[in-house]
Amino acid sequence: MGLTLGPGKRSHIGTTTERPSALAPGCVSVPAPIAVFPAEANDPGMRGLRIAACAVALGTVTELTVGALHVLEVIPSREENWIPLSIYPFIVVAFLAPTVVGLLIALQQPRNTIAWILLLGAFLPTLQLSAEQLVGPAWSFQSEAATLPLLFAWPVAIAFVFPNGRLLSSRWRWVAGSAVVSFAGTILLKLFDPEAYPPPNQEIRNPVLGNDFGQFVVETGLWIPFALGVLVSLFAGVVAVVIRFRRSVGNERLQMLWLVWAAMLTPLALTYEVLANIWLGGGGDTSFLLLMAAEIALVTAIGIAVVRYRLYAIERLVNRTLVYVTLSFLLLGAYAGLTLGLGVVVASGSDWVVAAATLVVAIAFRPLRSRVQEFVDRKFSRARYEGVRHVREFEDEVREGRRAPEEIGPVLAEALGDPGAEVLFWLPETGAYADAAGETAADLPEDDRARTEITREGVRTAVVRHDPRVLERRDLLNGVIAAASLSVEMARLRVELRLQLAEVEASRTRIVEAGYEERRRLERDLHDGAQQRLVSLGMHVRRLQRSLPREAAILSPAFDQIVDEIGAAIADLRHIAAGVRPARLDDGLSAALTDLARSAPVPVDVEAPGERVAPSIEAAAYFVACEALTNAVKYASASRVSMRAVRESDTLHVSVSDDGVGGAVLRRGSGLAGLRDRVAAHGGTFEVVSPRGEGTRIEAVIPCKS
Amino acid sequence: MQIVIADDTVLLREGLAGLLEDAGHTVVARVGDAQALLAVVAEHEPDLAIVDVRMPPTYEDEGLRAAVEIRHTHPQTAILVLSQHVEGRHAVELVSSGGGFGYLLKDRVLDVDEFLEAAERVCRGGSALDPEVVKQLLAPPREDDALSALTPREREVLGLMAEGKNNAAIARQLWLTEKTVETHVRSILGKLDLPPDADTNRRVLAVVTYLRRAAPA
Repeated sequence: MGLTLGPGKRSHIGTTTERPSALAPGCVSVPAPIAVFPAEANDPGMRGLRIAACAVALGTVTELTVGALHVLEVIPSREENWIPLSIYPFIVVAFLAPTVVGLLIALQQPRNTIAWILLLGAFLPTLQLSAEQLVGPAWSFQSEAATLPLLFAWPVAIAFVFPNGRLLSSRWRWVAGSAVVSFAGTILLKLFDPEAYPPPNQEIRNPVLGNDFGQFVVETGLWIPFALGVLVSLFAGVVAVVIRFRRSVGNERLQMLWLVWAAMLTPLALTYEVLANIWLGGGGDTSFLLLMAAEIALVTAIGIAVVRYRLYAIERLVNRTLVYVTLSFLLLGAYAGLTLGLGVVVASGSDWVVAAATLVVAIAFRPLRSRVQEFVDRKFSRARYEGVRHVREFEDEVREGRRAPEEIGPVLAEALGDPGAEVLFWLPETGAYADAAGETAADLPEDDRARTEITREGVRTAVVRHDPRVLERRDLLNGVIAAASLSVEMARLRVELRLQLAEVEASRTRIVEAGYEERRRLERDLHDGAQQRLVSLGMHVRRLQRSLPREAAILSPAFDQIVDEIGAAIADLRHIAAGVRPARLDDGLSAALTDLARSAPVPVDVEAPGERVAPSIEAAAYFVACEALTNAVKYASASRVSMRAVRESDTLHVSVSDDGVGGAVLRRGSGLAGLRDRVAAHGGTFEVVSPRGEGTRIEAVIPCKS
Repeated sequence: MQIVIADDTVLLREGLAGLLEDAGHTVVARVGDAQALLAVVAEHEPDLAIVDVRMPPTYEDEGLRAAVEIRHTHPQTAILVLSQHVEGRHAVELVSSGGGFGYLLKDRVLDVDEFLEAAERVCRGGSALDPEVVKQLLAPPREDDALSALTPREREVLGLMAEGKNNAAIARQLWLTEKTVETHVRSILGKLDLPPDADTNRRVLAVVTYLRRAAPA
């Protein structure tokens, strides 16, 4: 697609879609070679063609004006009510529609065959409108009859070259060539028709009345092969469209769909006319109006397909048309059936019957519509139907708790038929995208995959990255995305929540680590700062003491006392520092716990791993053991305590049990509660088992990686 | 004695140097980090190096590591490691690895006579282990331990032995006669199944090694 599209000419339908400007060749199925290259815009030849297109269009308008003057009897005509006044506006529309569309295409793509078929197809038949002034009433009449095939020549021509302006293959040149010969031959031979005009035009003399060549043509039946050729051409046009439709993929298929959709309206209009003739005794202006509408729809469809503006809306349009046409027929049938049926039972023509039938139809409308929609989806939009069903099944499984909403990514990929498709959830708080695993990225990766936003209530929830070819199946894409939007939103919320939780946990751990570092720093400062100063002070005192003369020996005990005080202060500091963070932790948890056990007033069994874990985790484990030991000695009157620290894969299990009185509870603000918070800060669990009279066991499980 | 001092706290370093010089020793160099310590040891080949455990740049255990290196490169230089707090594990290993090594808490300096004696002892090839460290090695008593067979007095004597003291010093500290101390020592060695040895230094090493093995963790 992007290969042939000029810059700034992308279509945006429904969800906004960004596409990388440069696509790898081959990733697009069939690029329709209808192209506008910026270079063409400045080509002088192009300019000439544009002017010519304008001239042709102007010619058509002039001819239609001439026709209007005839109708308004400003220019006298050979007969009164040459064309009925009420019909003329339709004729104007019928010729203006292809002219306008042809001109629009020609201005954009002057070399496009289709533009010229439309322009000339409208212009040539309108020449007839001024024929009387140019060649007199007789020749005008003769040519009017002869050029009748021109009216349907242009649709056949379009059928041959739609949508890319070229014939299907070189062999089709013969078909197209014989079509041209047939049409031209038929028109030419008809010009020599020697027959007198039938009433009421018998008084106009045929200028070629009794012409020898004309007689020859009629007698030998020379016109027959040409007329047959015209018929065959019509049929060939249909065949060409069918072949194209079957072969088409990608954009070309969408283009063909537009044509088929519009062509579908013509039989509908004809059906209406037939029905109207049967029931109402003639469709009159209404059926004419419908045919006009069908023609306008056809040329509009051609225009859309060629300039490819809103090209992608076709599948939905075809789908809706099918649904509502079927629905109309069903409801109409039901209404008619009910009216007739009830009319037999009750009195015919009763207001009650009409009211009841109307009510039934009104009630049946909504459920019937969804049934018909489903039927049409299933029959005519298999992929979309299957895709949407796939997503619905997934939603059911989510509801039943068998799958997590985050699995929507692979489900969407399968529903879209693109195994490489992935869903990235949008996190508005952080302004980043995240996949189902919680990996975040500020920007989407730049590659040749297309992106389609998923929105819910107008707010972006996620972006699907998929094969650009999926864009050619707009109905599938939009249907599947609409069906998945709830799951996507759920998944997005869950991913977001999980990421936020992880962030909270990470920040809590960072705070704990910072606190641990702070303790470490404080311990260092106590040892290396205040303590050193005290030692120095003590040394100076000692030197002073030792330098005293013998007579001053009486002062010595006072000096000793000062130094003793200093020593006590140092011991105090050391004690405080150990409480802040035992320096023995430098040697590992095992060493620190052993020290702790030694200083305890009751026997303590220690079992601890020799291997090291992160210092902050060792500290947490140490303080758990320390607090538990203090509790055991202070409150539980334990006579024996056992401390265990066991490394189990990625966790450190710390348990302290005693044989004390038990009955310990986790109370807010208590030492145990503080421990629980400390352990939780590392993402661990903390448990106190303390039945009265049966001792206490405190267990902490702290995650530790590495 | 020719002494070098390595400590990053100038105040403490100068105080220590003063004390040692007052006692008649020669402080040949005073440095503030391990790198400089190794340089001055190589330059002066002193009798004793007094080394602070924590020094720049990381304030972890630079002093200890430098001590180990000096041990290898200059075995004739005795080493006395000073620490702000008990981080004895490595110290005990070093002390039990041979004589001429001491490990003391910094505030032991305040008991000047004791400190000087320890320094001189280390210098003579003996050892000095801080009482705090010894206390950790000896406690707590466990039933299945040979140590639990010792009498309280014998434990006291064992502790002082582990600190690196000879019989005379032990006798002085405990107000006992040297003869009594000798009796205790014989009894202790017997109970711990250690060979009787007349050489104090070797005996101390045997005791420290024994305690290190016996100590949990």
